[in-house]
Amino acid sequence: MEATTYNYKVVRQFAIMTVVWGIVGMLVGVILAAQLIWPDITFGLEWLSYGRLRPLHTNAVIFAFGGSAMFAVSYYIVQRTCQARLWAEKLAAFTFWGWTLVIVLAAVTLPLGITTSKEYAELEWPIDILITVVWVSYALVFFGTVMKRKTKHIYVSNWFFGAYIIVIAILHLVNSAELPVTFFKSYSAYAGVQDAMVQWWYGHNAVGFFLTTAFLGMMYYFIPKQAGRPIYSYRLSVVHFWSLNFIYMWAGPHHLQYTALPDWAQSLGMVFSLMLLAPSWGGMMNGIMTLSGAWHKLRTDPILKFMVTALSFYGMSTFEGPMMSIKTVNALSHYTEWTIGHVHSGALGWVAMITIGSMYYLIPRLFGRESMFSTKLIEWHFWLSTIGVVLYIAALWIAGVAQGLMWRAANPDGTLTYSFAQVLNNMYPFWGIRLLGGSLFFFGMLIMAWNVWQTTRQGRAVNDAAIPQAVHA
Amino acid sequence: MDSGTISGIVTAVFVVVFIGIVWWAYSKGNKKRFEEDGQLPFIEDDTPGKQGDKQ
Repeated sequence: MEATTYNYKVVRQFAIMTVVWGIVGMLVGVILAAQLIWPDITFGLEWLSYGRLRPLHTNAVIFAFGGSAMFAVSYYIVQRTCQARLWAEKLAAFTFWGWTLVIVLAAVTLPLGITTSKEYAELEWPIDILITVVWVSYALVFFGTVMKRKTKHIYVSNWFFGAYIIVIAILHLVNSAELPVTFFKSYSAYAGVQDAMVQWWYGHNAVGFFLTTAFLGMMYYFIPKQAGRPIYSYRLSVVHFWSLNFIYMWAGPHHLQYTALPDWAQSLGMVFSLMLLAPSWGGMMNGIMTLSGAWHKLRTDPILKFMVTALSFYGMSTFEGPMMSIKTVNALSHYTEWTIGHVHSGALGWVAMITIGSMYYLIPRLFGRESMFSTKLIEWHFWLSTIGVVLYIAALWIAGVAQGLMWRAANPDGTLTYSFAQVLNNMYPFWGIRLLGGSLFFFGMLIMAWNVWQTTRQGRAVNDAAIPQAVHA
Repeated sequence: MDSGTISGIVTAVFVVVFIGIVWWAYSKGNKKRFEEDGQLPFIEDDTPGKQGDKQ
């Protein structure tokens, strides 16, 4: 018999874990920021040293926080816009437990120093295989649900999710090709500059397809829903989707400017990064213009504030990114704090804020409540996050530019004006501001956790959300 | 045929395909269809009060 309700259980599990992993990942980030100022803050324990906590932070915020959010919203949106219950629900349940196991294994192995040393792909080969199995299951559930849809058209969000699922599978398989030596150690299948190129083809497309494409799918559903009006231009969203897909794949070499990578490949990376400005800003305008005629809602609705601020940061960081890929700018910015600031303007400003806004929309619906426990606390969360991000990125802009200028300053006889330690000494005030900004953002997440806890306590898990029977379009 | 020629042909094909997509998305005949597609999230009601608390 055909199902008459949606599967909310797996959505609920992932939504709750999004909040939990967000707190864990950002706490590690705050500890790292503090370690830069007070290196001995973790008592000299090797498991908690900077080099081991750093990959734990990046994996936790990207794959645990961001990943769980994506599972939650893609399962929710694909069901609701296809008007069909999830296909292969046992497999969907497996993706939850499998993905959670991956995260737990990461949290154990990375502090132990078990790593492939590839950025954002540090997990060793047995975990890589588990990731592959979970991801293939995810693809089956997602595309299986799209196939059994009752609507004629596949809504644009699902196109973005589909591209993200396929591309992440390809990236993971190619970049994680490795030769196991022992159970805990493997070596990359590539060597030298090829290894670097494959790594950054992976690394930048992880940004492009995990942290951008996937979250744009989120944006294209939740902004119209929260604003109560359809996307400004659906046709623009179609062009946005295809132009991102055509261009993003080639931007990776901008991570390797002025390295052993052939010069033409560096220039190629720069040109494609510059071209990305067009689809990125097209998408941003599309999201923001959705509010035209409903701007007054921004004054009173903190969820909408989160979403629109996220889009503003998306626009800002997708302008900054192409600029930083220009070789002459990159000569100054690369290896400085500026890069870290840029990443966090995207990660905190865009990814985290659109996720937080979407979770505030989603969680009450999963627990049968009209709205979150407290709208006032969402407002507080919004301002803490916004002020936190602004402090964070402004501090690292100044720090990064100063750092770059001091590194390149030379005396008339050609010797360097400043030693590395002298430059380092100038970073402390900015690292202090960054720690403050990051802590504010983290504190906002704690408020969210309290708000979510109260919402779930007063609500009741919804397991009978009905699929509409009369099908239009 | 060397790899440079193949890359050139592939690039040219991609450009043509992309222009085709833009033309398809913005052609007059598809205007109404895409406006309807944009309504997809709204043809059902997911206000929380209407679904919860039954179990």
